[in-house]
Amino acid sequence: MTSLDQTGISDVKPIIVENRQPTVADGQQDCCDQIITSENFCLHYGKKVGVRNITMDIYPCAVTAIIGPSGCGKSTFLRSINRMNDLIPGAQASGMLAVNGQDVYSKQINLVNLRQQVGMVFQRPNPFPKSVYDNISYGPRLQGIRKRSRLDDIVEKCLRDAALWQEVKDELKRSALALSGGQQQRLCIARALATGPKVLLMDEPCSALDPVATGRVEQLIRTLKSDYTIVIVTHNMQQAARVSDRTAFFCLGDLIEYGLTRDVFTNPVNRQTEDYITGRFG
Amino acid sequence: MRKRLRLFGDKIFVAASGLSVLLLTVALVLVLGPLLWRGAGAIVFRGTVEFRRMQYDLHGRGKRESLEAELAETAQARRKVYDLLDRFAAGIDTTKAQDQVRHTYRQFKTQLRNKVENGAITSEEASSLKYGGKRLRNWLLEVYETTNAQEANRNLDYILAQADDERLAGSAARRFFELAGAYRQIVATVDLARRQEYAGALDEVQKIIRELLGPRPNETTPDLAQFQYGATRWGRAQLLLDNLLWVERWVAQGPGKPLKKVRTRRAEQFAGTELAPLLPMVQQNLHRMLRPRRTFHWRYFIDDSTPGHFFGGVGPEILGTLLLTLLSMVFAIPLGVTAAGYLVECTSEGRFVRVIRTCINTLAGVPSIVFGLFGLAFFVLYLQPRLGLPRGSSILAGAMTLAVLVLPVLIRAAEEAIRAVPRSYKEASLALGAGKFRTFMTVTLPAAAPGILTGLILSMSRAAGETAPILFTAAVALGPIPRSLTQPTRTLSYGSYDIAVGDRLAAMVPHQQYGMVMTLIVLVLILNLTAIIIRRRLEAKLRGH
Repeated sequence: MTSLDQTGISDVKPIIVENRQPTVADGQQDCCDQIITSENFCLHYGKKVGVRNITMDIYPCAVTAIIGPSGCGKSTFLRSINRMNDLIPGAQASGMLAVNGQDVYSKQINLVNLRQQVGMVFQRPNPFPKSVYDNISYGPRLQGIRKRSRLDDIVEKCLRDAALWQEVKDELKRSALALSGGQQQRLCIARALATGPKVLLMDEPCSALDPVATGRVEQLIRTLKSDYTIVIVTHNMQQAARVSDRTAFFCLGDLIEYGLTRDVFTNPVNRQTEDYITGRFG
Repeated sequence: MRKRLRLFGDKIFVAASGLSVLLLTVALVLVLGPLLWRGAGAIVFRGTVEFRRMQYDLHGRGKRESLEAELAETAQARRKVYDLLDRFAAGIDTTKAQDQVRHTYRQFKTQLRNKVENGAITSEEASSLKYGGKRLRNWLLEVYETTNAQEANRNLDYILAQADDERLAGSAARRFFELAGAYRQIVATVDLARRQEYAGALDEVQKIIRELLGPRPNETTPDLAQFQYGATRWGRAQLLLDNLLWVERWVAQGPGKPLKKVRTRRAEQFAGTELAPLLPMVQQNLHRMLRPRRTFHWRYFIDDSTPGHFFGGVGPEILGTLLLTLLSMVFAIPLGVTAAGYLVECTSEGRFVRVIRTCINTLAGVPSIVFGLFGLAFFVLYLQPRLGLPRGSSILAGAMTLAVLVLPVLIRAAEEAIRAVPRSYKEASLALGAGKFRTFMTVTLPAAAPGILTGLILSMSRAAGETAPILFTAAVALGPIPRSLTQPTRTLSYGSYDIAVGDRLAAMVPHQQYGMVMTLIVLVLILNLTAIIIRRRLEAKLRGH
């Protein structure tokens, strides 16, 4: 990260173009306060910088895309929201990151509650080597739901929400690993939905999928955004343009630009953003 | 050119690796094949009538009528052999005859006294008769003592000359003449000068015949079961027959030279004597005397054995081995998996973990006898009395010792298996709000189960076959079937060790030795197969088929 200072990129202040509340015209039904707030949030892996001075608000019932070149900290930021970075030894956070008004990195936080409120879908489909049913009911069981009928209901609802019900309803007892890659990823989304989260974090959910499966997952994301707040990290700028309402551009650990997707893609304020979007970056 | 060289190298590599696999297979077959083949001899063999008699006596198996008919037929065949032996023995070993002579003389005296009391004869007549009887007795005793055929014949002539004496008619003295007559025949056939030599040879023959056919019908039954029956297996009978027909002797070849084993026909020892026809007779009639029949003795696997493993099976041994092995796994698995889980999940690679891992690896290479002594010192002598258990070897102590023995192997295997579980599984579980422990129990462990089972197979095989760790902690060579886990047990490994070091036991019951080893191999194979099938199932389930 020494090159960071040499290039002078670190001096670039994040330009928050759009910080007003979304309007109906933006495609949002209800106008509510931001669900995730981040103020000067930094995360270091030992001496290495993951992200620094991230100040951005993420709004509910919308899809927020985070784009940027590899190693720019977009995944790091995403994983900070439900504290998955804790697993990495030496990770240290500073600044403020709040979900639903509650500081994620405070000592009082209940990690179990946080992670059940903030679901996560990973880059590669990672269903447990268990049956479809057991995969979905894993989260509710953690919450202490033991009643069979209740679990059945949750499984069905989540699979319907994830648009997978029609395909697997007859083989809920089959191993999840027998499903195709796209189905597995939708199953993972259904599994994340089963804990009843408000926020859904997606870490490049389509990078391991073929175009058809990608299309279905994107379709699913568009459907889900009416009920959930979705934050999606993607390498695919077309995808960000297709599914997201807002886009944030990260570069080398800094937030460069954040605004409505339409604005960011058609009329970027920052030259770096423009270079990146038009493919002249580097 | 270079490309051709590379192709050649590839071919060499394929050939070499193929050859090594082939060699391994051949070695395996060469080692296991004969073992299993000879071990199978414990179950499938040609059982003689002695075997069936033993089975009936000890276990009440078989039909009484058919057994009795068989015994009667064999007794007929055997009688000739016994008669021949008895007749020859009478000439060689005359102590019995001498006793008879003395007894006869005492009877004779009593008869005379009675006659005097009845007034049938006068006391003068009686004393002269008594004198005559005494003379007969002394002559006869001399005849029995002498090694000179001429002298013996002369004395016999004297005795038989008195046979016409009417005064002796109807008295006990007639017996003297019968004995003298019988001995005259023996003197004619047996070289009295070689009597000493014959006595030794006869002893050997009688011993072998006894081992071959069991105790004689009129003999008192020996106390130990091993002496109550002859050769129960045809293979053993053939071996004894060989011993009977051939004499092995170590002959000195001169000073400073090693002794040489010389095999001579035993028939030469008895050439020209009355016993000469015995050996061919036994050889020809052995089949009729023992009546071997193909026997499938599957009860070998469940029968108890008589002391010394002479007869019976390995039931208690199998039970003990299974108990020890499975119980040791019960101890070792939770400990091993927990330790492996700690090493993988709860610590980062530091000096501490490195030291622990080095310790575990070292432990894996420690000789098993060291574990045996540790088990003796710690479990048997220290722990058991403090837990209120009797001080002494027990299944519990043995299982714990074996558990300590296999722990390193198990920990290594479990560690690798747990490490191999994809990180994404753990992440998914954690992202759903599960804690570390919960994730380990519900996601990591099931995914690692096949690998852990591999470790289990390795350690189970090792635990089942180890002898040294249970030598002082759990095993006994003989003893009752254990009623609780605080008692010692017999095991297959220790049993075969005991037979091997026992006093010539292995030579006498080779089928037991090989049978135990075969049973152990088969048992381990079955245990492994079970584990492998379970692992297959688990793997299929994990892979989603």
